[in-house]
Amino acid sequence: MEPNGACPASDSEKGSRGHLVAGIPKEIPLPSSSRSFKLNWSMASSLNPVAEQMQTMVVGVADFKISTEPSTYIMTHSLGSCLGITFHDDKRRIGGLLHAMLPASPQVQDQKIREAMFLDTGIPKLLSALIRSGAKKHDIRCKVFGGAQLMTADSFFRIGSKNIDMFYRLSQELELDVIAWEVSGRVNRSIRLNNLTGDVIVKIPSKPEFIR
Amino acid sequence: MKSAADLQTVVEMTRSIPCAPAILPKLLKLAEGSSSDLGEMEMLINLDTGLATDVLRTANSAYFASNQRCENISDAILRLGSKVLYRIAASTLTGRWLVHPVRGYGWEPGDLCRHSLCVAICAETFAKKMQIADSATAYTAGLIHDLGKFALAYANFTALDEIATRVPDEFPTWREAEKAILGFESTEVTKALLENWGFPSTFVSVGYYYQIPSESPEEERKIVTLIHAAKHVATQLGYGVGVDGFYYEPDEAALKEVGFKDAEMDAAIPEILATIQRYISPTGEIRFT
Repeated sequence: MEPNGACPASDSEKGSRGHLVAGIPKEIPLPSSSRSFKLNWSMASSLNPVAEQMQTMVVGVADFKISTEPSTYIMTHSLGSCLGITFHDDKRRIGGLLHAMLPASPQVQDQKIREAMFLDTGIPKLLSALIRSGAKKHDIRCKVFGGAQLMTADSFFRIGSKNIDMFYRLSQELELDVIAWEVSGRVNRSIRLNNLTGDVIVKIPSKPEFIR
Repeated sequence: MKSAADLQTVVEMTRSIPCAPAILPKLLKLAEGSSSDLGEMEMLINLDTGLATDVLRTANSAYFASNQRCENISDAILRLGSKVLYRIAASTLTGRWLVHPVRGYGWEPGDLCRHSLCVAICAETFAKKMQIADSATAYTAGLIHDLGKFALAYANFTALDEIATRVPDEFPTWREAEKAILGFESTEVTKALLENWGFPSTFVSVGYYYQIPSESPEEERKIVTLIHAAKHVATQLGYGVGVDGFYYEPDEAALKEVGFKDAEMDAAIPEILATIQRYISPTGEIRFT
């Protein structure tokens, strides 16, 4: 058991990091709850006083937050088709979470935009903020969550798949070390990054929490 | 399998919930009427202490306040205007009902209220942009579109858990599972509730047909499709979406017929989000006024 009460990722999950990243290009991954490590978080935290002392920062939609304080959770609610992206430098315990809603910012000159609303502006912004705070690019690991999709619709409501496509493209361009994909499917996810360990606790309605 | 009689049981049970938004149809009628109705509106608002408090608080908020404080409802009505006042009433009355703790659908407390508010804001935004419905009507229709689900959850139907376990393996959509397992759909409950409370036929049609607008009466298809579109956009945004949320089929034929375009809906999302965030905090707290 880790000091905060969260269980570490299973060996099979650690070993599959390379596979998960390499497996993305041709096919968008299916929801991976079946291969995820299950944990009843409330039970785990009640056993460990460190977990109970952790502070929680909440990220709204179209926003991001970073923390250099190890005993911190950074969480966001109800991703829906949005993407929740966590970055964590586990050597320096510096983490960040972005809740982006749309894939690409509008290409209109002089139009003021909220950079964290869009993946193409939000991800670089969060990365720079982390590096300014002391994180090293080569030590930052990334995890991505959300992108839920509505039932088959050829012409409508495809934000989830557009977001996943855009994230994949950006992850290649920015050479992100993506070690977990928990995307797509028909579920509404809430996530919480443990800044001590880099673990992300995922909550889905009517299901037990699990760690990625 | 549940019998059709259970539909009536659900409707009867929800009669006991306090704060049912039953005075909304009266307020809506008054808001659309002439200034001579303001006295009646004042009387109606004064009957509900919580609503009267919200109205006065809004009238004296930084956004509306002038040099003089509003000391009574009559002054507040004049300052806010009947449209704004109606919006406050709709949000306060419906919201109060929808935050009542219930189980089922994997909802956290207040989830249905958050989701309904998002649908209402999406509907209002699309109504203004596309000019296919009155924006206040669209807003209210968004707030009340899923009252039947709330009633089912309030009735504590264990069958809701069964639906959750059998979708999608046995039933591809939540609607089909409801019909097979409950013997009726949540939209039938919504229809029965709205009829009982005397809501105009437009709202009854929205509640009954919003999942399949192609089947709605032609004269009401635009607003029904508007709520259908708003519902799906709000689902993508995630606020308050339960275990059923992503298991509804978009009605592409109706969306195209009414003139919805995917790119235009996506482009409206930043504006919709800005409005939503005025009412829902990052932690999920709802502030109606």
